[in-house]
Amino acid sequence: MTFTEKLKKALRLFADFIQFGVFTFGGGWSIIAQMQRRYVEKEKRLTPEELLDLTSLGRSLPGTMVGNVAMLYGYRECGVLGGVACIFGIALPPLVILSIITVCYSAFRDNEWVAAAMSGVRAAVVPIIFSAAVGLLKGTFKFPPCVAVFVITLVLYLAFGLSCVYLVIIGAVCGLIISEIYERRGKSERK
Amino acid sequence: MIILKLFWVFVKIGFTSFGGLSMIPLISSEMIKNGWMTAEEVSDIVAIAEMTPGPLGLNCATFAGIRAAGILGALVANLGIFMPSLTLSLLAAIFFERFSKARLMRDIMVGVRPACLGLVVGVCVTLSLTNYGGAGGISFPAVGIGLLDTLLLFKFKISIPKVIILSAALGLLIFGVLPRLI
Repeated sequence: MTFTEKLKKALRLFADFIQFGVFTFGGGWSIIAQMQRRYVEKEKRLTPEELLDLTSLGRSLPGTMVGNVAMLYGYRECGVLGGVACIFGIALPPLVILSIITVCYSAFRDNEWVAAAMSGVRAAVVPIIFSAAVGLLKGTFKFPPCVAVFVITLVLYLAFGLSCVYLVIIGAVCGLIISEIYERRGKSERK
Repeated sequence: MIILKLFWVFVKIGFTSFGGLSMIPLISSEMIKNGWMTAEEVSDIVAIAEMTPGPLGLNCATFAGIRAAGILGALVANLGIFMPSLTLSLLAAIFFERFSKARLMRDIMVGVRPACLGLVVGVCVTLSLTNYGGAGGISFPAVGIGLLDTLLLFKFKISIPKVIILSAALGLLIFGVLPRLI
């Protein structure tokens, strides 16, 4: 691929991902659905299995799943330039929309009608987070000690106000230890 | 200086979050600690992020960035939150074959997922204190709206944007119209 071809391709990816970015309501899954429709069904650039691989890898890496999947797909199509183009594309629509909303929010939040409506909305936030957390439950407690990790994290966070950064790192270390123990046990049972 | 600080905070948020929801606890504590948002504003941004396109983390980055340092702040915060994608995902893309079969990430996730769930439940508790309480003790209308929303979300599977709009209408009625009538 010459550089001009590459640039053209990256621009196309950028345009595609701007479109995906406009319609990602409530989290990243809708961009996967859009990639499925466009790249798997229409353009046949990806097989369903390849998209699934990209998604599950993107999910298991830290950061936003959407950004990770954008980089993985963009790199695959057109190298580093493609990955960066996809990330910028997916980031642009939310950036513009939220900028406008933030300015409006700052201007209107002290209006008493807006404040009344926001008090109602705030009451909805905990049930919303909770309902999303229930969706996370599947596969979270893979081994019994995972329950202990959950309880200990909750206590350290609420009672001791330990930083989330440390708690996630502690979780990662626990994950390595738990996997090690259960894998070794699995192996010795097979013997 | 605030630009660098914003960037660093969102890099931290990016690298320690797995999935949109797990960002809320860290966003909440960092925003409040740095004085970029109040506890109420954290709730507001979660609701706003659920109603507008784009993942939660990006929307929080833009919101906090603008409020702390204008549009440049928003750009820097967005860049911070994408740092894992620009670095780790790039590596993963280059070594895709080896990476997708690597055990390390999967083993780490065994502990990270329950830890993230613990944080999310924890943030539900702390947000409840501000959203259903306040200076005058428990706000019963707010608790009522919260219970109704829980029922709608879990029992009737109503979509999140609809629940938010309904709650806004109820808030307007209970906190805005009702005090005027009495």
